[in-house]
Amino acid sequence: MGAMKLNKRSVAHYALSNSPADHMGFLRTWGGPGTPSTPSGTGRRCWFVLKGNLLFSFESREGRAPLGLVVLEGCTVELAEAPVPEEFAFTIRFDAPGVRPHLLAADGPAAQEAWVKALSRASFGYMRLVVRELENQLRDARQSLALHRHSSWKAITSHCRPQAVDHLSRGLEKGHSLSRDCSPMGLAEVACGTTAGRGLAECELQGPTSLLLSRGQSPVSPETSCFSTLHNWYGQEILELRRGWLQRARESQPKCEEPDRP
Amino acid sequence: MRYNEKELQALSRQPADLAAELGMRGPKKGSVVKRRLVKLVVNFLFYFRTDEAEPVGALLLEHCRVTHEEPTGFSISFIEDPERKYHFECCSEEQCQEWMGALRRASYEFMRRSVIFYRNEIQKMTGKDPLEQFGISEEARFQLSGLKA
Repeated sequence: MGAMKLNKRSVAHYALSNSPADHMGFLRTWGGPGTPSTPSGTGRRCWFVLKGNLLFSFESREGRAPLGLVVLEGCTVELAEAPVPEEFAFTIRFDAPGVRPHLLAADGPAAQEAWVKALSRASFGYMRLVVRELENQLRDARQSLALHRHSSWKAITSHCRPQAVDHLSRGLEKGHSLSRDCSPMGLAEVACGTTAGRGLAECELQGPTSLLLSRGQSPVSPETSCFSTLHNWYGQEILELRRGWLQRARESQPKCEEPDRP
Repeated sequence: MRYNEKELQALSRQPADLAAELGMRGPKKGSVVKRRLVKLVVNFLFYFRTDEAEPVGALLLEHCRVTHEEPTGFSISFIEDPERKYHFECCSEEQCQEWMGALRRASYEFMRRSVIFYRNEIQKMTGKDPLEQFGISEEARFQLSGLKA
């Protein structure tokens, strides 16, 4: 049985190419060459570079050959307990038999949060969602511009749809192709799962459960990848509830509360 | 460069963007065409022996070039060594075009360029930054300057 092949030279070349890195910095790592199989001790400090869905590690910032590669697909990024108390750790966990999670640690809570955020959004599926959403928005913007030109003297502002949150785009899916404009994603698969044809914003509007489900196809960290969107979503819900509650409170006790305040 | 083979094998089991049995010939001199199950999963192209569950190998599709090869085939090469080509033979011109199209769209760098392109176009038309609603407008990978790099 032979080891699985990979075009390693091209991968290493890509790691060092001048295409933009999505995140980089020093992290402590346990595991890897010459370290014990269970995380203990101080681990080893390496330079990490996130490029797309690939996380590379280097001996140092100037390292010219990557030491390691982790492909951030089908994994979960979670906060974790560090073997060293002053470190801020997280794990990259794969849902595959016999695969030990990668334990990494940043030297501060801000760096830890930034890494978890960046790694959680690194999957190809996330990028597909963003591209799909922007594709819809551009279609809407072009459509509304065309409508404006048609009836410019009427100046109907209701035709203006700056957000793709509305559902106009769905009706245009079939009739108006962007191929004329060299739309680079015309045939791309929709990562939105069962909500095919809908944009990211729309998925979010459906609430956290369906959002998690809709990302099930490329489940990079269902917990953390959605944390910020979940956070926003819950935040909006709470604001909404609070607004309603305040309004009701005001209506039921008209003009009694205000003067009492110091 | 170390990586966990089991992680890549797990990725190879994920749903395919495109899969077919194709003729494949590696870049080494004297390589012969073999039947392989070829499976595109995100930006990796996996190839399997037709009777085995685990892939023989994988190609990361970043910084690659996809070229049409006569009569109904295509090749993949990488910028650091354009002469080293992986050859694939399809059964029809239609299938060949389908694969070439899918492979050209299958890189993260292509997705990044798409996001930047759309962002720029939308911003020109509406005056608003569409990435702001996702909280990713500051990310380095979506900056226009990243295009030239």
